[in-house]
Amino acid sequence: MHATELTLLLNLGFIVITAAVFAFLGKLVKMPSIVAYIIAGMALGPGLGIVQLDHSLELISELGIALLLFLVGLELSLQKIKDLGRVAMILGGLQVPMTAVGAYAISTLMGFGKMECVFLAATVTFSSTVVVIKLLDQKGATSRLFGRIAISLFLAQDIVVIIGLTILSGLGSGGGESFEMVALTKNLGIAFGGMVLLLLVSLLASRYVLPKPFAWASRSPDTVFIWALCWCFLVVLLAHQFHLSVEIGAFLAGIAIAQLPIHEDLHRRLHPLMTFFVAVFLVTLGIQMDISVLGEVWKYALGLSAFVIIAKPFIVFTILSRLRYSEYTAFQTATASGQVSEFAFILLGLGAGAGLIEARVASLGGMVGILTIAISSYLILYSDLLYGVFQKLGILKFFNAKQEPDTEEVHTHEGHVIVVGMNALGREMVKQLSDRGETVLAIDTDPRKLEGLNCAETLIGSVEYESAVEEIGLGRARLVISALQIEDTNHLLAYRCRSAGVPCAIHAFDISVVEDLLDLDTAYMFMPAFDAVREQLAIFDQTESADRNEEVNPA
Amino acid sequence: MTAIAILLLAAAIAFGLSKLLRLPAIPLLLLSGAGLNVLAGHAAYKVPQDLISEMIQIGLAVLVFTAGVELSPRRMRGRTRAITILALTQFFMLGACGVLTAGFLGYSWMTALYLGCALSASSTLVVVRHLQQRRQMFEPYGRLVLGVLLLQDIFIILIMVALLKSPQGWLMLCNGVANAVALGIFALGVHRWLVPYIVKRMKLDDEELMLAALAALFAFSTMAHLLDLSFLVGAFFAGFAISAFPMNGLVRGMLGSLSGFFLALFFISAGAFLTLPSLETLGHSLIFIVVLILVTVFLVAIVAEVVGYSSRAAVEAGLLLSQTSEFSLLLALTGVASGQITPELFSMIALITVSTMTLTPLISRESVALRLVKWHPRYRSGEAACEVMQNHAVLLGYGRAGPRTVRALKERGISMVVVDEDAGVIRQLIAQGIPCVQGDGSDVRTLERAHCLEARVVFCSMRRTRDAQLALDYLKDSPVEVIVRVFETFEEDMVRAAGGQPVQTACAAAAQFLEWTEVNLPKVEGA
Repeated sequence: MHATELTLLLNLGFIVITAAVFAFLGKLVKMPSIVAYIIAGMALGPGLGIVQLDHSLELISELGIALLLFLVGLELSLQKIKDLGRVAMILGGLQVPMTAVGAYAISTLMGFGKMECVFLAATVTFSSTVVVIKLLDQKGATSRLFGRIAISLFLAQDIVVIIGLTILSGLGSGGGESFEMVALTKNLGIAFGGMVLLLLVSLLASRYVLPKPFAWASRSPDTVFIWALCWCFLVVLLAHQFHLSVEIGAFLAGIAIAQLPIHEDLHRRLHPLMTFFVAVFLVTLGIQMDISVLGEVWKYALGLSAFVIIAKPFIVFTILSRLRYSEYTAFQTATASGQVSEFAFILLGLGAGAGLIEARVASLGGMVGILTIAISSYLILYSDLLYGVFQKLGILKFFNAKQEPDTEEVHTHEGHVIVVGMNALGREMVKQLSDRGETVLAIDTDPRKLEGLNCAETLIGSVEYESAVEEIGLGRARLVISALQIEDTNHLLAYRCRSAGVPCAIHAFDISVVEDLLDLDTAYMFMPAFDAVREQLAIFDQTESADRNEEVNPA
Repeated sequence: MTAIAILLLAAAIAFGLSKLLRLPAIPLLLLSGAGLNVLAGHAAYKVPQDLISEMIQIGLAVLVFTAGVELSPRRMRGRTRAITILALTQFFMLGACGVLTAGFLGYSWMTALYLGCALSASSTLVVVRHLQQRRQMFEPYGRLVLGVLLLQDIFIILIMVALLKSPQGWLMLCNGVANAVALGIFALGVHRWLVPYIVKRMKLDDEELMLAALAALFAFSTMAHLLDLSFLVGAFFAGFAISAFPMNGLVRGMLGSLSGFFLALFFISAGAFLTLPSLETLGHSLIFIVVLILVTVFLVAIVAEVVGYSSRAAVEAGLLLSQTSEFSLLLALTGVASGQITPELFSMIALITVSTMTLTPLISRESVALRLVKWHPRYRSGEAACEVMQNHAVLLGYGRAGPRTVRALKERGISMVVVDEDAGVIRQLIAQGIPCVQGDGSDVRTLERAHCLEARVVFCSMRRTRDAQLALDYLKDSPVEVIVRVFETFEEDMVRAAGGQPVQTACAAAAQFLEWTEVNLPKVEGA
């Protein structure tokens, strides 16, 4: 563990500290964290030259992408997949060729050669799954209809990218033309066959293999956490065997777990890990940036970026309007498509490596990528505001889109009572409050403890995670109750309730926790041990009084 | 990616076995890593050594950082004296025993020091898991044990600094320790003022909180590096810096996710570094294990009782602390990296850790503690305190609520006798002049000594319902009213069937709470 051997830790240190500094500075000007991370990367890489991209950082970035797609898969039930399959095929099938043709035309007008135009067209056609999901997640919109349509479109694009990369690797592999065609067909066959096989494996596993072991391990969150990760990376490895991307493998692995009851809790537990890895990935995007040719290509970069930000959303909006989606859904989905995928970096790198395009073109593609990701981050985060502006200006009228909102299940809790921890006390509270006519939401990390609570809505999860706190609608609750005997969690819950201005009743299982709970403005403290003494004495007093009555008035 | 998948597969197997065998995960993770190493010799694919080294580095940083996050001084509040006395005595006396044993077995002084220190630390991860499973995290003895573990972590970090600096002479050693203390003071300042200010003033979301916590980790590690200290010292103090409430609570879930991943890979990777022990190493390991368990149980039981804990709690604390720690592995790994100890010694320390952690769930059972309590020299000393009584109340089990019952009975002018097993509790009762009998409340002889058959009421608050049933069987045909405290619904039926009056704590608490809601939570209209 000498300093020379600590390269990864040093690199991570530089990345995390710089990302934190830029994120905090960015917060002052309401800059999306994605943009801050990319700028941090540019400062570390091309700016100061402190961090060089190495194998370990690439591995962490890959882990982040895999986890991100795994989490997306974790949210998709079979019904949702069925619903979105059609729109993904139609939207992807139309948007990809239309954008590619438009981008090819613009690149030709800019004076690039044929092969360069092919690469630039491919670069701008695809949108960034990672960036968009991260932003939708930040907005809490991954489960909204527009979020799901956008994600399904990008996954359809991923399939096209895989075909593109397979063709490219076929072009790059040696031998004669006939051999290349055979190899290409073979590779494509393996990729498609693999995709079908993986989908089957995932669906069968979700039905026959995974439920029993995960149910058995459900009381041990650590075990479930590691098992889910292991499952994810095993499927990714399997996908790799069929020349499929990490994204596809992780996504399919996530779908298999999504059919299990613990998928929501797993999602919350995996989320922080993904956030960290994806942040590193985004910083490495900035590190890879080559700004030395900026003076040479900035005009082209601006032109292509404008195409990506304006034309791509226009195409998506038009198609979705024709598919009878509401103006709002179409607009939000279209806004999400206005950037270049991280695949662009790989594609251009491969092209430059194979000598098919100049290094200058690869840098141009990278620059368009950074520029469009930065701008579209703002557009996605502030898309509701943007939609309002467009509506006011009357621009959207020309598309004649459906004005009625799409039917989508938006589940919000309000005026309810939350009971945390389904031990004997928690279950009793749920029962009594339901009998009183309250709408009760019961939450516990152990699914078995939630069984049989028919009088209340239930949720598997831990209130230590902010996402769980948002999901249970803590800020809109009438009362929050914790029956837990975990001091730290109780303190945190009381703190969150105080911040949200919601009264809380907490289990004060020991006299030593009372002072802290009072400091946290706890409205009521359960003291079952003392309450039981009171009850014991009440029973005793009753018996004594009955005995006395009997003595005074013998039958 | 293949390597990560393999490491995760090894971890998944270890966690599965841990659940199946009800053993702590750490020893199984280490063994799984060792198994991976053995298999690698016969397989076509081998996990790259670079990746294993990197996982160990990140894992170590995460390990000490998360330990630091739990280091909030609030945890020791009200028990500082007891915790400090117990931690100092246990750590240094056990350490001295370890050093002497190592010296006796022919190890060099430096190796003996490493062994002594490795032996002195107990495992926070194992103990916390055990306490959580038994729901005793926040019981008095649980708090005592947690406080001791926190201080042990600080001792190990400071000793690690001293050991690493020792080859450079006394002056550098003192300088190193002084630098570590200075960094600790700086961390205290951040803990007291900066972190609460940031949490209060800036509304940070989950992602920003995590980024801030990790930035603190790397910033402190850099400071440690600049002060010529191990980066682990910085990581530990970074954890301490953000251990102020509510920051520690807000980041716990997120850091739990990161540490769950990295620590699993760390223990697997550390296991992959193990070498096959020789017969001599196995013999020495056995000697150290025996020394560790005997000295810890004996020492902690005595000191904990001296500082005011009940005999049973003192014995339970001793049993629970009798294993080596993940910090022992940390110390050994830094020793190997600095060339002060051999990889074979690391393997021996890992073997002791694996064995003692595996033994912990077996030896820290309630039944073992009860058996050991009976060896207490003062056991049954309270027997003589009970006079012949009639028409009195009997309290079977004193516990937390005992004082309240005693006060209520005194107010009603009812004489009483308390039955409790614990010598410490009995000592307190005698001091307060409350009649008492020391013994097992489910034992017929004890019930006879408390004159239960002549009593007007028996309040039963024993922890195990099985014990209450035995007492009910004894009083079945008597007119004595037996009111039994129970925790679960099914226990109510059992008590009723045995002729007792059950009081379920949850129902009692709910009834009380509903009275409060009538005033403070108006009913929903239409409900």
